[in-house]
Amino acid sequence: MDSLLSVFPSKDFSLLGIILAAPLLGAFVNGVWGRRLGRDAVRLMAITAIAVSFGAALLTFLALDREVTHAGHGHVKLAWTAWDWLYTTGKSETQIPIALRFSVDALSGVMMLVITGVGLLIHIYASTYMWDDKSYWRFFCYLNLFVFSMLVLVLGDNMPLLFVGWEGVGLCSYLLIGFWYGKMANAAAGKKAFIANRIGDFGLICAMFLFVHYTGALDWNGIEAGSGSLVTVNEATQVHVWPIGGGQFTGFLKFLQPDSPITITAATAVGLALLLGATGKSAQIPLYVWLPDAMAGPTPVSALIHAATMVTAGIYLICRLNFVFVLAPGVMATVAVIGAATAFLAATIALVQNDIKKVLAYSTVSQLGFMFLGVGMGAFTAGFFHVFTHAFFKACLFLGAGSVIHGMHARIHDDDKAQDMRKMGGLRKYMPLTFWTFLISTAAIVGFPLTSGFFSKDEILFKTMTTELVHPDAERLGKKVTFVQSLWGARDPSHFYVPPAWLGTALYWVGIAAATMTAFYMSRVVILTFFGEFRGWKLGRPSQIDAHEAAAHDDAHGDDAHGDDDGEHHHEEDLTKPGYAPHESPRPMTIPLILLAVFAAFAGILNPGLLKHFGLPLPLEHWLEPLFEESVKVGVHAKEGAEHMELMCTAGAFGAFAVGVGLAYWVYVVQKGAPAKQWAEAAPKLYKLLLDKWRVDEAYEASVLSGVDALADTATSVDKGVVDGILARLTALLVAAFGTILRALQTGVVHVYAGMMVVGLAGLGWFFVMPHPDGHVVEKGSGDYSIVAAPGVGYGYIWAEDGAKKPEKEVFSGTAAFPLHVEPGNTKKVELKVRNAFGIVGTKTFEVTAPAKAAPAEVIEMGQNGHGS
Amino acid sequence: MLNLLLLLDIVPGPANAATPVPETPQGPWMGFAYFGFCAVLAVVGAIATVASPNPIRGAMGLLLMIISIAGLFLALHAQFIAAIQVIVYAGAIVVLFLFVIMLLGSDAQTPSDQRGRIPRFGAAALFAGLGLAALTLLGRTMAKPKLPGDVGSDFGSIDSIGKVLFTDMLVPFEISSALLIVAVVGAIAVARGKHGELAEKGALNK
Amino acid sequence: MIPVEYYVGLSAILFLIGGIGFLVRRNVLVALMSIEVMLNATNLALVAFNRQHAQVHTGQVLSFFVIAVAAAEAAVGLAIVLSFFRLKRTVRSDEADLLRN
Repeated sequence: MDSLLSVFPSKDFSLLGIILAAPLLGAFVNGVWGRRLGRDAVRLMAITAIAVSFGAALLTFLALDREVTHAGHGHVKLAWTAWDWLYTTGKSETQIPIALRFSVDALSGVMMLVITGVGLLIHIYASTYMWDDKSYWRFFCYLNLFVFSMLVLVLGDNMPLLFVGWEGVGLCSYLLIGFWYGKMANAAAGKKAFIANRIGDFGLICAMFLFVHYTGALDWNGIEAGSGSLVTVNEATQVHVWPIGGGQFTGFLKFLQPDSPITITAATAVGLALLLGATGKSAQIPLYVWLPDAMAGPTPVSALIHAATMVTAGIYLICRLNFVFVLAPGVMATVAVIGAATAFLAATIALVQNDIKKVLAYSTVSQLGFMFLGVGMGAFTAGFFHVFTHAFFKACLFLGAGSVIHGMHARIHDDDKAQDMRKMGGLRKYMPLTFWTFLISTAAIVGFPLTSGFFSKDEILFKTMTTELVHPDAERLGKKVTFVQSLWGARDPSHFYVPPAWLGTALYWVGIAAATMTAFYMSRVVILTFFGEFRGWKLGRPSQIDAHEAAAHDDAHGDDAHGDDDGEHHHEEDLTKPGYAPHESPRPMTIPLILLAVFAAFAGILNPGLLKHFGLPLPLEHWLEPLFEESVKVGVHAKEGAEHMELMCTAGAFGAFAVGVGLAYWVYVVQKGAPAKQWAEAAPKLYKLLLDKWRVDEAYEASVLSGVDALADTATSVDKGVVDGILARLTALLVAAFGTILRALQTGVVHVYAGMMVVGLAGLGWFFVMPHPDGHVVEKGSGDYSIVAAPGVGYGYIWAEDGAKKPEKEVFSGTAAFPLHVEPGNTKKVELKVRNAFGIVGTKTFEVTAPAKAAPAEVIEMGQNGHGS
Repeated sequence: MLNLLLLLDIVPGPANAATPVPETPQGPWMGFAYFGFCAVLAVVGAIATVASPNPIRGAMGLLLMIISIAGLFLALHAQFIAAIQVIVYAGAIVVLFLFVIMLLGSDAQTPSDQRGRIPRFGAAALFAGLGLAALTLLGRTMAKPKLPGDVGSDFGSIDSIGKVLFTDMLVPFEISSALLIVAVVGAIAVARGKHGELAEKGALNK
Repeated sequence: MIPVEYYVGLSAILFLIGGIGFLVRRNVLVALMSIEVMLNATNLALVAFNRQHAQVHTGQVLSFFVIAVAAAEAAVGLAIVLSFFRLKRTVRSDEADLLRN
């Protein structure tokens, strides 16, 4: 490792370049030549690129570890500046450099390993899963590009670079959701994801502006150094919410002007802007609606992008800028509340969904909500740990679901039906590896004791219960106010808002409820999919006639080519005829499953919060401590007697697991699903509401989208009526009329063209033959002026001041400039005579008036004439 | 002959001559006579070129003008350009014109009629006016004519022009060779017509 | 020695003759020859001015390039004349009016 550090010094750690370049190269090669290379070469290129990146990431991580050990305890960074990108101008003309600079520290190091490691496994899985797709090369081009963008997001050392990666992953997500763009629904889902993310990006851009203005920096170190100026008690330097930007309402709008402007601290504004960005990318209320639809993409994409990596970017952003967020406890509380609400809402929807990928999608939204809850309550390590464990078990669950769908595709070719859990059942017997890995990951997500998910979720809930948010600058700022007061009452900028102490307790119980539902619906998925009897089609030996058909489909099955719209219509098979049972997926798909399941089971060992009493170390907490230490110290207080509540909280989490799983077992195994039907019939409206996902999409449709539609309609009618109808036609008519006139001149005869050229030439000649007496007055100050005549070929000048004697003989020997003194308030006339090389003379009279006060001289041009000499 | 040209201040003295050739009393007169001779021939040639209805005569007038101007080049110490003028213009371009005129035969001479008279003569009158303006300007400065100074012995020689061409002007020189190639290729492509046309004719001949 | 103005005046006269010829004559061959006259007039002016500023050879070199361009122009121009004659059986320039209106 020391030799590695000698090759790549920590200030110029260019190994990061290799981590980034390998996937980019893969994307480039596959994108440009992939179609001609053939599947084998594409697979080799894509997997090698990620493997190289993963290897370099491992080396980087080891080097980082060595540096941390060397440095003792502290925030260690390995950085590499590729080149200076651009400069922007900050407050008071300071130049803010934006370098193309990448760095890796404890936080981004872990993210980097997850991205490349899980990415590698999913690439291997996808290389088989997607084998029969005709756009194999396109898929891997996008997937490699995604890994590159995600690495830019994580490794970027400043906000704009993070934004580049942020947009890059958004683009790849869009491309991959709409990968089978032949189907309208897929294309729409991609568009939806893209647009929802754009709304979030608006927040991110606003945050960048605010950073430039307030902290005068865009790189992480600079923002941290300048973050002190984000909180001020001076109203003038705070962010004006109403009137926006600190303006004034005048005239008939005066009633809108408040007595004193409503202001918030810059920290709050930045935090809210960043939160908007994070909710967009990490699928939180109110922008979560795109993620469930994003399951239209191929399953490996759902696993990599929409479960393991991209959607955790929001949590990464909050962790990265934790020192900004703790300055605004109100924003922290908002993060936590949004997280808890999302966790709860998504879990309720997941209870009743029948599509296996939809359940997993809402489960992802719910788990992301847990992460937000954690970081919002100041438990950055716990929230990030959940990111880490979730990457493994959710990737494993998605890949397992993909494996199941792959098996179901043997005879069910319709997308929605192949993913319908009501068609599955009993797959445990036919797909044992898939079953066991799926089971282990489910155990992790529902919080089965000692699995990774148990530790991470328990830690979040424990921290939620036992911490309260405080304002780090409380002493400096003065009085604290309640939430209601902060909105309507005291607008004194020195007042600040602190969330109430009961917030944590309340959110804890919301979290427990969400966890219970998680346990229930995940158990439901396992039971419906893997236990009981197979419900997809009649099992048995296919008859002789059908065998032919089955063999034909054996070639095509598992192609996942449903959306692959090549005009071929998948005819539905008669499922009442007997067919072979679904079979286990091939090895390249099961090996990633096994590896991910192992991690899902044992990754908890990295931060076994509960077991620290048994003397186990907390490596992750120790590893991340330098990043969060300061923020946690100033922004988060542990409640009284927090240590004693640990067992109680764990009991709550365990209770959630036990109740959820037990209930699911009772409903779906003991009672064979009868209670579920009864409940649905007992409250049909509620059931329908849940099945329709709380009709949030419809509400958006009715409010925001219809508004935008109306605006678009108006714009269209204006465009058609005014722009096309009047402006365009009028100009077209004008041009046509003019053209008709000019067309007469175009005789096609060369002589006429030459004649016209000569006419132009003659005009030019006239210009030179005639003199141009012209000039301008230059004010020298204190009544002194100078008239400067325009130059010309062979020009001679004569100046005659008003009243001066005219010379007997005119000699054109004057200079081009004529000095003049005019007393204030007086007016003088000067005559200029110009003779050009042809001996033709032109005259012009200037009248210069000196103002009584200091104002620019008024020049009246009296007239101009030319006469031959 | 060389002696005569020396007298006319046309050709520099021998390379080993330490001082410029002394001006003989009759030198200016000889020089003016030579210039006048060449100038008159050039103007006559030019007028013959543009005015003669028969293009063959026009080409002969062009030849006359070109050779007169080559003579003037000699008087201006531009021996190399004079040589080029004779070789390229008289030797190549005029011959090319003659070839084309011969090829067209009697069709080369076009009958004259009055069509498009107004634009043609109007434009010519305007142009003549412009030229007169320019000549007026020249005439106004003629009062104080500028006599050119002495020149070095190698001014305008092939040696010195060649040095300039292959050092400072190398890039334009190469580009001009590319231009000539393109012109030759283009001329062939334009003059031989379409492939189909030729093939058709060939088929008809069979 | 002859003042440069004489040469420039001769050059202007030749240019004028060539220009008028180009504007008046409708025989394409004569028009091309008029262009040659104009180019020659330009060359004469260039060389004459170079005589005035005898430290460098810029004018002479430029007139060399003008001759090269004139050769190219004559080659292409005459090829076009031939092509045009093949099309219309005449060399009158006002017959070439396919681009009218």
